[in-house]
Amino acid sequence: MAKVSGTAASRPSSGRRNHLHRPAALRVWGTCALAGALALGIAACGGTSGQSAGTAVSTPGTAPGPATTKVPSGPIHLTMWWWGQQEAPGASAWLAQTIAAYHKLHPNVTITTVLQTTNGLIPAFDAAAKAGQGPDIQYFWGGIYSQEPGWAGNIRPVSDYIPASELHHYLNAYREDTYQGHVWTAPWYLQPSFPLLYRKDILAAHHIAVPTTWNQLIAACKTLKAAGITPMAGGVSDGWFGGWLYSMLGGQQITSVKQVLDAVVGKGSFTSADLASWWSRLAQMKSSGCWNSSITSQQLYQGQQAFVQGKAAMTVSAGTAVPGFVKQVGVSKVGLMAMPTFGSGPYAGKLGATSQTVGITRWSKYPTVDANFIMFMHTPARLLAWYKATGDLPADDRFPVSDVTLPQVRQLFNMEVHGAPYLENFIPSQLDSEGNFANAQLVLGGSETGAQAAAKFQQVATRVRITDSKEMADFTRWAQSVAG
Amino acid sequence: MERSRQERDSGAPAATARPPVVPAPGRGTPSPGVAHPAAPGPPAWRPARQARWRRHWGVAVWMLPAALVMALVFGYSVVELYVQAVTNQGSWAGLANVRLVLSDPYFRAAIEHNLQLLIAVPVLAALGLFLAILVYEGLRGWRAYRFMIFLPYILPVPVIAVVFSQLLQQNGALNEILGKLGLGVLAANWLGDPNVSLWAMMGVIIWREAGFAFVLFLARLLSLPQETQEAARIDGAGFFSLHWRITIPQLRSVIWFYAVIEGITMISWVFNYVYIMSNGQGGPGDSTMVTELYIYQNAFQFNAPQLAAAAAALLFTVLVAVFALGLGVRALVLWRRSRSQDAERGLRLTPVSGHGGEAVWPG
Repeated sequence: MAKVSGTAASRPSSGRRNHLHRPAALRVWGTCALAGALALGIAACGGTSGQSAGTAVSTPGTAPGPATTKVPSGPIHLTMWWWGQQEAPGASAWLAQTIAAYHKLHPNVTITTVLQTTNGLIPAFDAAAKAGQGPDIQYFWGGIYSQEPGWAGNIRPVSDYIPASELHHYLNAYREDTYQGHVWTAPWYLQPSFPLLYRKDILAAHHIAVPTTWNQLIAACKTLKAAGITPMAGGVSDGWFGGWLYSMLGGQQITSVKQVLDAVVGKGSFTSADLASWWSRLAQMKSSGCWNSSITSQQLYQGQQAFVQGKAAMTVSAGTAVPGFVKQVGVSKVGLMAMPTFGSGPYAGKLGATSQTVGITRWSKYPTVDANFIMFMHTPARLLAWYKATGDLPADDRFPVSDVTLPQVRQLFNMEVHGAPYLENFIPSQLDSEGNFANAQLVLGGSETGAQAAAKFQQVATRVRITDSKEMADFTRWAQSVAG
Repeated sequence: MERSRQERDSGAPAATARPPVVPAPGRGTPSPGVAHPAAPGPPAWRPARQARWRRHWGVAVWMLPAALVMALVFGYSVVELYVQAVTNQGSWAGLANVRLVLSDPYFRAAIEHNLQLLIAVPVLAALGLFLAILVYEGLRGWRAYRFMIFLPYILPVPVIAVVFSQLLQQNGALNEILGKLGLGVLAANWLGDPNVSLWAMMGVIIWREAGFAFVLFLARLLSLPQETQEAARIDGAGFFSLHWRITIPQLRSVIWFYAVIEGITMISWVFNYVYIMSNGQGGPGDSTMVTELYIYQNAFQFNAPQLAAAAAALLFTVLVAVFALGLGVRALVLWRRSRSQDAERGLRLTPVSGHGGEAVWPG
């Protein structure tokens, strides 16, 4: 794990995929819509962006809107520090192609890219910020990582340079990357999380309808368990799955992420009914035999293998891993859904997702060109090229999802467009680790009740407020800016 | 003819360098009450002292680079550690960090687990001793046994931890074997049950570390004089009494050394095992949390370097204190033993007539 602070969920995993990221949805096809054909669209995107110069932007809050996105004449050199090849192999080639295409449109603009290491991404940017020089365009992980540089004054709001009509297409821009009415970073690609995969063949063999409500799920667990089938397969020895479960279950009763942020900063409590009930549901799953008996001694991927082998009827997957499971098990055998609901909150029955983002640095001499390039990254041709190069979904609702072959991936994208906040991103990493990871292990091991877990979670939250005052200050600011 | 110490030190022939020496009390310091022969030049004690100084300075000069490196690498780090432990983001925090650490249930659990792991030290010593004596006694095929027992110790800890993580799963090989042997009742969720996981890890640690004890004790056994054991055997000592009364007392110093090393290991050297076998979590819950992992998490995962420093400073201080205490106790024991031996020998002092009645050591 690279990160040392912030939300645990937004930290990238060391492996190919970050299983810990989140979501959002928004849209609006802005000025580029004037272009019809693909090449024309690309050209028009660059050209028409200038047309929005000076237009007032109807972003929420006090955002003044873009001044101009016109690309000036004369030689311009931009530098982009980025990350992403690590979790989306093929991203490097896509970026090179995108820059080449952009250079063709704007021969006076050259862009140099620097791929950062996982451990180096934030420290390198912090050092650049101190020196007041470095990249023009910087990559940021989603969640609080896309907020902190704005609070520190190291980036400019992208909403000052990208029209709202365009930004509304960027999935999660207004859910995760907005502070005090400004959108600070522009979503690039999605980290969808976390669908419940089910095996149609196993459910059908036991005459079980796909469960959509909580009671149906519990009943299905009991039936499958009695038949000797593991209802759901997972693993919590590596902890992460505890955070996933929190995101899938913990958001079902709340009405807004502000409830979570308030509880983090001490204005609410994680033992309140809305925030604590999910622990009891998790304990109920355990007592109903929903999970594999080895869940506490296995890592998540080890548990998931039971699903592939046909020994388990359901499992939970990172969105990016869905194609892999579908191909291994068979397209016709795998179904996908959100966690069955027990709550009545607005996030119940929805998938959480986050977006990895890019931002414009404070010291960049050509913020309008930066913005123009970011918009170019979101043209339909580049969105489709991104999916083909990486297999990951771009964070833009204009992505031509009909071109995707796997129906499960099409379904996933549509669910993400109408998704919910990825809850794990709204708590500090220590709370995630000591609160979610540790207590999920104990609840799923049968060593702890839901109420005990909630109480311990609250204790950790109280402690984190004392031990990390800086992060609490950031969360307080964040909580204040989020509408209830 | 052997060269004098001064000659060795100065390189000059002693005959030319050494003036007539007047006996003086103490460490060559001239007594005020002693009359020195009138002689030109420096007093008689000075050359010897100068030589000693030259020798000491020579040693100091040779040691200086290593001392500087130590001061920079170790001394600086330790000082910096304590500075961080009493500051928070550059501001003086006094003992607030220490208080926070001490009030943290995770830290208290970590300390408790480290102390529990100390139980492994006598187990390891006894096991290593037993195996070493068995091999020493000429166990058939002892070379193969020696290799097998020592093999775990040369395997990297991460490899061992990964392998045992698989073996000890709920549906892992160990439980399967137990089931097939009809011992399913002994099967457990070794790493997934918070009541068992620390003991399971201790078992893995013992499995690996026993190799070190075995080799250490065997090496010492092989260096013991055979005569003592032969004499004991001739006197009719059996296996147990021979080793309990003759062999083990002779191994006392190496056993002590091993206990100290393993004690330090259990307190501050089990990170690899815990990190890998609990996937960096110290779980389930906090059941395998140890101080090293606590320090690591605070320093690198939770953005609380001041708490990590406070915990590390506490650990370091306690370890040094315990180590010093241990050395002190050992020195005291040795001193008392020496005195009692002296006393025993004193009882055997025999006044020898014709020597003015003073006591002399017999023989």
